[in-house]
Amino acid sequence: MTEPSFETGRYLYCVVQLPETESVEFSTVGVDDEQAYLLTAGTIGIVVHDCDTLYDSSNIDLVRKWLLAHQNVIDTAGEQFGTPVPFQFDTILRGDDERVRTWLESERNTFASHLDAMAGCWEYRIDVLRDEAIVEEELSDDEQLVEIDDRIAESASGTSHLLEKKYEQRLKTLKQEQRTDRTAGLTEQLSTIVHDLQDLGQKQTTLNTDADIDEALIREARLAILAHEERQDEIGDLLDDVAAEPGVEIRFTGPWPPYTFTPTIENDSSEN
Amino acid sequence: MTQIDIDGESARDGLMTLVMTVVELLVEVMEQEAIRRMESGDLTDEEIERVGAQFAALEAEIEAIKEDEQIDEPVDQLRERLDNLVSDAVMTMDEPPQQGYSYNPIEDD
Repeated sequence: MTEPSFETGRYLYCVVQLPETESVEFSTVGVDDEQAYLLTAGTIGIVVHDCDTLYDSSNIDLVRKWLLAHQNVIDTAGEQFGTPVPFQFDTILRGDDERVRTWLESERNTFASHLDAMAGCWEYRIDVLRDEAIVEEELSDDEQLVEIDDRIAESASGTSHLLEKKYEQRLKTLKQEQRTDRTAGLTEQLSTIVHDLQDLGQKQTTLNTDADIDEALIREARLAILAHEERQDEIGDLLDDVAAEPGVEIRFTGPWPPYTFTPTIENDSSEN
Repeated sequence: MTQIDIDGESARDGLMTLVMTVVELLVEVMEQEAIRRMESGDLTDEEIERVGAQFAALEAEIEAIKEDEQIDEPVDQLRERLDNLVSDAVMTMDEPPQQGYSYNPIEDD
């Protein structure tokens, strides 16, 4: 934990749409074991906890624990109220409950339209992994590669060293082209089903989850999609077709709250 | 980015990793140029053979140093990070900056 950096603040988890008819109660354990609770403005609610400091640590296990708690609160809110609009970890508004309510009131229309647009939609993550040996095998009949191979066979060692480098370079280019084409194809197929899609590329994420990937596999694509819950099976079927190709492993996870598709909220007084 | 610890043994490893990574990248660029010349017909067969043999010897030397220093993996990791950094930079040049926030949701086991 860092030293307290402000008198009083509210840690923000997410904004939710409240049912119009019944009174609501919400309470759960949040980041750093703080009590998360709900503040309301009309039919819009915001989940917060009291704090007087930012959450910053170089201890990766502690950060992981905080992130997990942050995520749990948003998941719980999502289960109770439907798709939430999450805030990014460690988003803090200076001031008390009244200050948060005033801010929520002023942003009410913005949030209402986001909640409306995302109603019933959740985020899913798609990882496409391929067996590198199979990928290389498929590409090995490329005309240029065959030609380089033939030259290597009849060259002395120094020359063949350079030719091998040329072979590697060509193979790398082909792999990249193939990856781009295949990802574009998958994106195209998904585009008719999903509301929104983000190619996450090879970005390092806060919590690197690549540790459990078999070394023989290379990542072809990492996508985040925003889709209606009713279309989950349709997406699953589409991915099953891709996974049926030899040497392909697909990881399809979700539904998650729409972390990747959260709109940026203009807010000068939040700390982050 | 990989942090380079500035204390003792790990500082040496960190620095060696960085140096060998830079050397590898440099050799790669020079090899590309040699290949370009080889394919453009600027070099005689003898010259190609000699240059190729020098690069092969250089590569063997680099591999031996990496093995002695046990920095094979850190060098690979640093190169991968540099690669990803470049691809992401290229990707973000193509696209508007991504809104929101991205981390992998954690499977709650």
